[in-house]
Amino acid sequence: MTAINFSSRQPSGISGFLNSLMKPVAVAPLVTFRIGFGLLMFASTIRFWLKGWIDAIYIQPKFHFTYWGFEWVRPLSTNGMQLVFLLLALSALCIGLGFLYRLATPIFFLLFSYVELIDVTTYLNHYYFVSLIAFLLIWLPANCNYSLDVRLRLTPRSNRVPAWTVAIIRFQIAVVYVFAGLAKLDPDWLLQAQPMRIWLPSKSHLPVVGPYLHKEWAAYLFSWFGAAYDLLIAVFLLIRKTRPVAYGFVILFHLATALFFPAIGIFPYVMIVSSLIFLSGDTHEKFLSKIFHRTPEPHVLWNKYSTALLYPCLAIYVTFQVLFPLRFLFYPDRLFWTEQGFRFSWRVMLMEKSGIAYFRIHDANTHANTEVNNAEFLTPLQEKMMSTQPDLIVKYAHFLKKEFSKRGMKNPEVYAEVYVTLNGRRSTLFVDSSFNLASVKLSWKPYSWILPFKNQP
Amino acid sequence: MRYLVIVCGLVLCVVLYSCSKSSGGPSPGPSTSEFDKTAMLSSYADELIIPAYQKMQQAITELETAAIAFLDNPGSTSQETVKAAYRNAHLQYERIEAFNFGPAGVALLEVNANFSGGLDYSFTQAGELTGFSIDSSTIENNISTGSYDLAVYSRNNFYSQGFPALNYLLLDPHAIEKFKVNTTGRVKYVKDVLARLKSLIDKVAADWGTYRSTFTGNTETNVGSPIGNLVNQFAYEMDLLKGPRIGWPFGKQSNAIPFPLKSEAYFAGMSAALAVENIKSLKIAYTNNGNGKGIADYLKSLGKAELNDDVLSRFDKLIASLEAIPDPLSDAFTSQSDLIDAAYKDIQQLLTLLKTDVPSALGVQITFMDNDGD
Repeated sequence: MTAINFSSRQPSGISGFLNSLMKPVAVAPLVTFRIGFGLLMFASTIRFWLKGWIDAIYIQPKFHFTYWGFEWVRPLSTNGMQLVFLLLALSALCIGLGFLYRLATPIFFLLFSYVELIDVTTYLNHYYFVSLIAFLLIWLPANCNYSLDVRLRLTPRSNRVPAWTVAIIRFQIAVVYVFAGLAKLDPDWLLQAQPMRIWLPSKSHLPVVGPYLHKEWAAYLFSWFGAAYDLLIAVFLLIRKTRPVAYGFVILFHLATALFFPAIGIFPYVMIVSSLIFLSGDTHEKFLSKIFHRTPEPHVLWNKYSTALLYPCLAIYVTFQVLFPLRFLFYPDRLFWTEQGFRFSWRVMLMEKSGIAYFRIHDANTHANTEVNNAEFLTPLQEKMMSTQPDLIVKYAHFLKKEFSKRGMKNPEVYAEVYVTLNGRRSTLFVDSSFNLASVKLSWKPYSWILPFKNQP
Repeated sequence: MRYLVIVCGLVLCVVLYSCSKSSGGPSPGPSTSEFDKTAMLSSYADELIIPAYQKMQQAITELETAAIAFLDNPGSTSQETVKAAYRNAHLQYERIEAFNFGPAGVALLEVNANFSGGLDYSFTQAGELTGFSIDSSTIENNISTGSYDLAVYSRNNFYSQGFPALNYLLLDPHAIEKFKVNTTGRVKYVKDVLARLKSLIDKVAADWGTYRSTFTGNTETNVGSPIGNLVNQFAYEMDLLKGPRIGWPFGKQSNAIPFPLKSEAYFAGMSAALAVENIKSLKIAYTNNGNGKGIADYLKSLGKAELNDDVLSRFDKLIASLEAIPDPLSDAFTSQSDLIDAAYKDIQQLLTLLKTDVPSALGVQITFMDNDGD
């Protein structure tokens, strides 16, 4: 802890930028963020439990679609998974309360990421976002004020932190928005107003706006407004003058998405709560001191970072976040079709894609054919996700080869007839049905066994 | 700060307003949207679903009368009468099978009346209770011990009541002989099975009286909504046709080894007729009997006339190819395998449209589970 000198002059250039990262700022935005995030994660863990999803998603399936490189991740028994969720709920609550924060954040991060890694078919962008935020929180002093840790004297109280600790969360949220916006700069989205043109007419039950939702202009309005919102909101949140109105838009926009698309679950609330961090330190300090009946205190800085280690780590993290979502540029054909570089890239509510996959096992020795009953191995959710995602189709083919070998087939080959419809186009063949999918090895290379996208109406 | 207060206030007003509106049931006044979904659902309820359940009640009552006459005097004449009544009732069941949600879902009508075995089983061995099996050993055991509870939730129990049990007990070639032994127990069992089937159907028909307003008042398309349920049922019925009704007993999963005993209502010898009636009824459900207020018309209103035309022509093609298969289907599996292969391909063609293109165009998710997405 150091007392703070406010009169320091900022040098320019890189060193100026690096200095500005260390400039003391109010910790209050980070504190509000910690409380909001912790309580929201606590509520959403309980919600997940009450919906019976622990059983439906992690216990029931006989087979799990693991992530490439994380094939060793396995679900635990019923009791084990319930314990994981109990610990998740408790650690989220601890984060919210700022109690044993240094212990709670790594536990929450590891357990949450573990649960997400069990099955790709449950992948959601906002789960990835939660994992990243949880990871960042491990390294941030979000418990150094308004926390039980301070109250119990486990952590000394400070109200000033280096600027980067707040900025990194703002950066992460801006990344989500900007990439979500860039993803919408797509011909289907902008020129055809798809998939809004499919989704909106199905919402005609909504009050006031309902009767207009089948109109073409409504679909264009939603598409263009959504793209503009995602692209610009982070900038408007960063500019002091536009910030209050921008945050009003955040609330309006996400409540609207929650109303229109209830199936997106907690995502709107995650964004509404997270975006609070863009509000100024003053706003947060006033808000917190009012709630907790605190009078202003002298500034005390929390700074335990070694810049020698910090700068490279920050550079790596930021570079990864900016570049990884762009990896789709290295792949041929339409991204929405092949989905190479689709995940971990903030492509949210972007397409209406569904498929059906018929698998056939061919015994290379006897030339006998057997059809696969997907429902025997997969839950409806898994089957639905697998049917449109090429890497999952291959993972499933590998599983089928193993399964039918176990059943006594000497040399099983796996062929699939898969039909996929994208953004209202008629379904067409998706996978080369003459390709033995069991022989495909997953890699970073472009998929050669996916048929080219046909841009028919 | 003042901005923030104003904006938050506005948001709050909008949210409160919309919540108060959406929780108050069907919105008042006529909807001005292009396609009137409320009218569609009302028509489904009043002109298709509720009348179909009433006919089902009637058919079961007639079956009961014929069955009692047969039980009083088991002989080939009374068996012919009960066979006709059975046929009539089972065909009528095919006409209600697509409405297996709401009251039928609550009553577990499908598993108790005509258990298909579910879709999540492997169909590779003859002895297993899968598909449209009949659990004759549990049935015989129930009759000889006289202690059974047909309401217990178990696969053995599903396979020992409803249509599977009735066609075994009444129409098995040795059915008449079997009534000579432990007559009282056997007669009682048949009557209990009939009474349970009848009470389930009566319950579903009665429940539609109250469920009707829930059904017509919800024009959403999310998981569990009436439109969502209808569209999901279309896909599910096609899955049943591809699996337990035709594909699996034909040997599609078992290296071309057929399981004739597992064809639907085996002892009635009418599996092909049931499949035909099933798909014809599904077409009627899809078009709402062509009255202009069906899912087909909703699809057209969304600019998908071409897709709808394709769906209808694939329906017709499949109906024709199923009609070409002679009963008993259990024999046709081996004697007419080309015809069955052709029908199987047509099933897959229609299934593809009903499980991908149609739900996707309607904004309906094919899933039987509620889940988050983004």
